Amino acid sequence: MIEIGHFAAILALFLSLAQGVSGLMGSRRGAGLMAVAAFALMSVSFGTLVNAFIISDFSVQLVANHSHTLKPFIYKVAGTWGNHEGSMAMWCLVTIGFGAAAAGLLNTDRPKLEARAIGIQGLIAAGSMAYLLFASSPYTRLDVAPLQGASLNPLLQDPALALHPPLLYLGYVGYSFVFALAAAGLIEARIDRDWAKIARGWAMGAFVPLTIGILLGSYWAYYELGWGGWWFWDPVENASFMPWLLGTALLHSILVTEKRGSFAVWTALLAVLTFCFSILGAFLVRSGILTSVHAFAIDPTRGLVLLFGLMLYGGAALAIFALRAHTLKGGPAWTATSREGALMGNNLVFTVATATVLLGTLFPLIAEGFGRQMSVGEPYFRLTFVPIVVIALVALPVVQAWSWGKADLKGLGKWAAGAAAISLVFVLLGVGLFDIPVFAGLGVGLGFWLIGGAIWELKRRALVWNRVFRLPSRVWGMTLAHIGLGIFTLGAVVETSARYETTLDLAIGQQAEVAGWTLTLDDVRSVEGPNWYADRGILTATRGSATAVLTPEKRYYPASQMPTTETSIHRTGVGDLYLALGDRRVIDGAVRWTFRAYYNPLIDLVFLGVSVMSLGGLIAMLRPRRKRVTAERPVPQEA
Amino acid sequence: MKALLAVLALAMTNETVVLSADEEARAQALMREIRCVACENEPISQSASSMAVDMRDRVRSLIADGASDQDVRDWFEARYGEFVLFRPKAENATDWVLWLGPFALLLVGGGLAYGALRRRRGDPVEAVAPEELQD
Repeated sequence: MIEIGHFAAILALFLSLAQGVSGLMGSRRGAGLMAVAAFALMSVSFGTLVNAFIISDFSVQLVANHSHTLKPFIYKVAGTWGNHEGSMAMWCLVTIGFGAAAAGLLNTDRPKLEARAIGIQGLIAAGSMAYLLFASSPYTRLDVAPLQGASLNPLLQDPALALHPPLLYLGYVGYSFVFALAAAGLIEARIDRDWAKIARGWAMGAFVPLTIGILLGSYWAYYELGWGGWWFWDPVENASFMPWLLGTALLHSILVTEKRGSFAVWTALLAVLTFCFSILGAFLVRSGILTSVHAFAIDPTRGLVLLFGLMLYGGAALAIFALRAHTLKGGPAWTATSREGALMGNNLVFTVATATVLLGTLFPLIAEGFGRQMSVGEPYFRLTFVPIVVIALVALPVVQAWSWGKADLKGLGKWAAGAAAISLVFVLLGVGLFDIPVFAGLGVGLGFWLIGGAIWELKRRALVWNRVFRLPSRVWGMTLAHIGLGIFTLGAVVETSARYETTLDLAIGQQAEVAGWTLTLDDVRSVEGPNWYADRGILTATRGSATAVLTPEKRYYPASQMPTTETSIHRTGVGDLYLALGDRRVIDGAVRWTFRAYYNPLIDLVFLGVSVMSLGGLIAMLRPRRKRVTAERPVPQEA
Repeated sequence: MKALLAVLALAMTNETVVLSADEEARAQALMREIRCVACENEPISQSASSMAVDMRDRVRSLIADGASDQDVRDWFEARYGEFVLFRPKAENATDWVLWLGPFALLLVGGGLAYGALRRRRGDPVEAVAPEELQD
């Protein structure tokens, strides 16, 4: 079976190349047909891989190294992409899939642009396929098939992580198609309003899965790794965060190009950079040059090949950009205090924020080259990244009401008064009543500022409240995304400034206090699952009249000889009581069980905020229900 | 009886040093910026390894002895090297590139953008409310 898959993949590589050539020669029909055919072949190929995992065909090296007969069905399937080779195969499938989707969906009056974009997507797919087949082939057979497989890294046997890689890839690869569109537009030297209308949907289509993918990864780290936190500024997290930041800048920049024809240079550059950072992310994660808890399946030679690919594609795109940028046309004139000026500031803040993450991620690597062993962690990003991004967050509610060209600044005094009032209220409330630091008080104020600002803008556009549901989906999408940002800010500020963490050593029957909760260790039992066995602690938590039972586990997967923690989380709605079981220790002759205990206030808002943001993106992608042509007042069409 | 009390005190936490609330808050903040030397990429506040337990104990006992935050950082740096600090130092020129680079970039970028704008100032500017643009 797997040989059929291998053969299909080789054919898909040649079809992708043909797609590239015919597309660049301007044949929309030819490139489209090749893209669809390549997708059909690659689907077959990927199907044979999934099938090998499902039937546990251990004569396939990949399956023998990463699967096991006792693994639950869903993780056998997800195991296909829970490793380097399989995830590359999925990357290729998605890359080719975007070409096919573009072939089916693109229907504009610029067939040459479509042909070139599909062609460039074909070249990206061909590069990925060559990497898959020559540098990380999943189709290798073993001479002697083992009777049992080595299983999937048990940390990855988790529903959130089964979906995490496909979503991230949809995001990264989605941006590869925006890149292809930008390169095609640059070749024609036409990045204008028409171009932006085409590209906007694809950029949004990449933003949504990338956001959900990062969310799932973060949520997984929260409940699976047993560290109690949701973001660690770990290099691998940063690798996915940088394309997200640039992609977000790109979304806003495309809007300006779409509405005004301005920012063509910015938009093209951001499209190129977002894709380059997606590949850079893959390079950083796969090459193993970073120490990270998330880096699975690493190999330095593969890293070099990826770096070469990045230089080839990124370099070519930047070269076209350098040649064509000065020929791109701008839109109508604007002053610094205008909608354009505000969105220019947004581009700048997000680009600098990305550069900050890049600097912090790469600095220790560069220092190591000079013989200096150092670390850059959360305190650095809190003091550099956060203040830079806060500039954009503070400005957002004010500037989103600004007009194109030139804003009416009469209301600015009222906004300043409102901001001062909110800051004062939350600093006084926070410091006085809840005993949180001044900065945390300001941060909470900022969260409400963003949520209130987004709702205010919705009302401003609707003029009267009962019209808000007649606003176009794009306005609703924008509002939800900005409300989500506010909710996230609230959660992130409260969680990081008021989190409580401690270590407990308990004997059975003993009690301890954690953030107002009384924990009693009732029992520790041995339990067994399909492919693991575990120690399960059973604890009763009480606070006032509230009672909860927590059952943190320490699992052991014999197939991969690896322990994992299964945390137990009691959600109260305003905070999580979070327990992770550690080691069994003997202290003074008595048996003790070690627990990491956390109280994470409002952490749900972090995940909720990002979910609302993704929902906003999704809604913004919906087409307007119908175009109304009313004479008395134009329908707001803005986002 | 005394032994029993000692066991009970130990039972609450395995951290042997008891600090006041303010000192504990300082200790926890420091634990988030000191890297566990036995783990992949974790601060000692998050790790369950016995190395991290020992390092946390050390933070608490140093603070109980009256050490300032910087004393604690210096103590760990002296023993484990600069690698152990998640908050990079700001001492020589290279460190300042790291710490001030982002802000310098923001200022330079802002300056360039504003400069590009000034060049086009001669053109007449028309204000268009977002609502008035239609596809």
